[in-house]
Amino acid sequence: MSEKNEHVIEKNLKALVEIVDVVNAMTLPIVKSIENLLVKSAAVMGSEEASVLVRDGDEGDLRFLSATGEVADQLINLRVPAGKGVAGFVFSSGQPMTISDTGQEASFYAEVDKKTGFSTETLLATPIQYQGNIIGVLEYVNRIGRPPYEPFTPEEMDRAALYADPIATLVNAYEAIVIFKDLGDEILSANSEINFEEIRGWLRGVRGNKNHKEMIDLAILIREVSMQGDAERILCKEILESFLSYSENNLQSKFSHL
Amino acid sequence: MSSTVSSEMFDALTDMKLDDEWKSSTGKGVSVVIIDSGVDKFHSDLKGKIKNTFAAVRDGNRTVFEETDAGDSAGHGTACAGIISKIAPEADLSSIKVLGAGGLGDGHAFLAGLEFAIKQGYKIINLSLGTTKPQFVVPLNDLINRAYQAGCIIVAAGNNLPQPSYPSVFSSSLIAVSKSSETNYFDFGFNFGETIELTAPGVNVRTTWLNDGYRTLTGNSFACPHIVGVITLLLESFPDLTPFQVKSALYSIARRNQERKS
Repeated sequence: MSEKNEHVIEKNLKALVEIVDVVNAMTLPIVKSIENLLVKSAAVMGSEEASVLVRDGDEGDLRFLSATGEVADQLINLRVPAGKGVAGFVFSSGQPMTISDTGQEASFYAEVDKKTGFSTETLLATPIQYQGNIIGVLEYVNRIGRPPYEPFTPEEMDRAALYADPIATLVNAYEAIVIFKDLGDEILSANSEINFEEIRGWLRGVRGNKNHKEMIDLAILIREVSMQGDAERILCKEILESFLSYSENNLQSKFSHL
Repeated sequence: MSSTVSSEMFDALTDMKLDDEWKSSTGKGVSVVIIDSGVDKFHSDLKGKIKNTFAAVRDGNRTVFEETDAGDSAGHGTACAGIISKIAPEADLSSIKVLGAGGLGDGHAFLAGLEFAIKQGYKIINLSLGTTKPQFVVPLNDLINRAYQAGCIIVAAGNNLPQPSYPSVFSSSLIAVSKSSETNYFDFGFNFGETIELTAPGVNVRTTWLNDGYRTLTGNSFACPHIVGVITLLLESFPDLTPFQVKSALYSIARRNQERKS
């Protein structure tokens, strides 16, 4: 491989890592926003714990993206295989469901409870839908206070569906960003010749760079404006396209003057 | 003149005297299939009551159905089976699993399962499932009409969410059900003029679950098997009823319920 080609590949890889870094920075506020919504909605629902599961792969598996409550940290990234448990059913059927266990039986949410040591006694699960597609599951678990807990009511089932709507917009934005991240990770892991230590060192330098910080701020700003609604997203796109067109013309005119 | 048919008028019109005798039936000889997440046929309450258990399997681009002991992956199908079995303990219950691992539940498996059930000639199909995806409207409508013409009674749960769910909205060819807080399954209601016409117990319903357990559940999904159970009893006493007559009978019973309550 010629030195020139190596230089181009290195340049491209660094650009890719830079994009992945921006993407990572953008997912954090989205997850934080989901968590805030979970905390607020759980309080209104009179629930002790709340969580959001998102699809993981193409086979119907789910993964905890965000959670609040006692075992929140243990839940994050925990996987639920396709069709398993209440969450799996709600995801594949698109139907909300409440389930409670007021008797002395073992927990019905066995697999996840086994891993976290938590005891699920009453649960409300509702699908998270974005433009007609089911993209996740919103769950509220147990009640505030001590057991035995009152089961969730049909009215609370309707209310949970209302909370699922804004969460759906956030989950959709999260997924759109993660696609870039996964793509970047895939390309980077496919290249066995990459010296990750060197890249990490370089990345630390990039993160300290004023321009990179500004790029992240700009990306977050665009995301926030775009998420205000369809009209804002279209307006944002039009403005950016106008700027791009202006910038290109400006560049061309500069060249013509040379 | 009243625009609704009284219970006496219904009896005269249908030549079917609906006294309460049918309520003591057990559903013997009536075939019922649950299209869902599978059924745990080894549950103590269901042992010996589940005749066939099929599961959707991918065969290239096709979905085929095989007898299986795969059981229930989610508990939902077992919950429906428990409700039907409690009302009609001698019904010929079967299960077609279309939800579960390996990408099942993508709508195509659901369609294939429904088609399979109609071809198998089951008398009643419990559909506590549905889809909101418009691309399934035409094929589902076609299948529901085929079932209706074949004398197969489909009972579908309405969507718990505000948007329409298919096939429950095809109310002319099937029986659609939503939940009520009523506890006696014979005291169901009928909302004439609504898309989802019937209401049945679906709030805090105690029924069978995985690992030989029991759960208390809320959702339209659990109202649906209550009506299936009631129809199973009705069909044991009146085996030749057509889907249209069954719906008329349910309407008449619901009116009696209303009359009694008021």
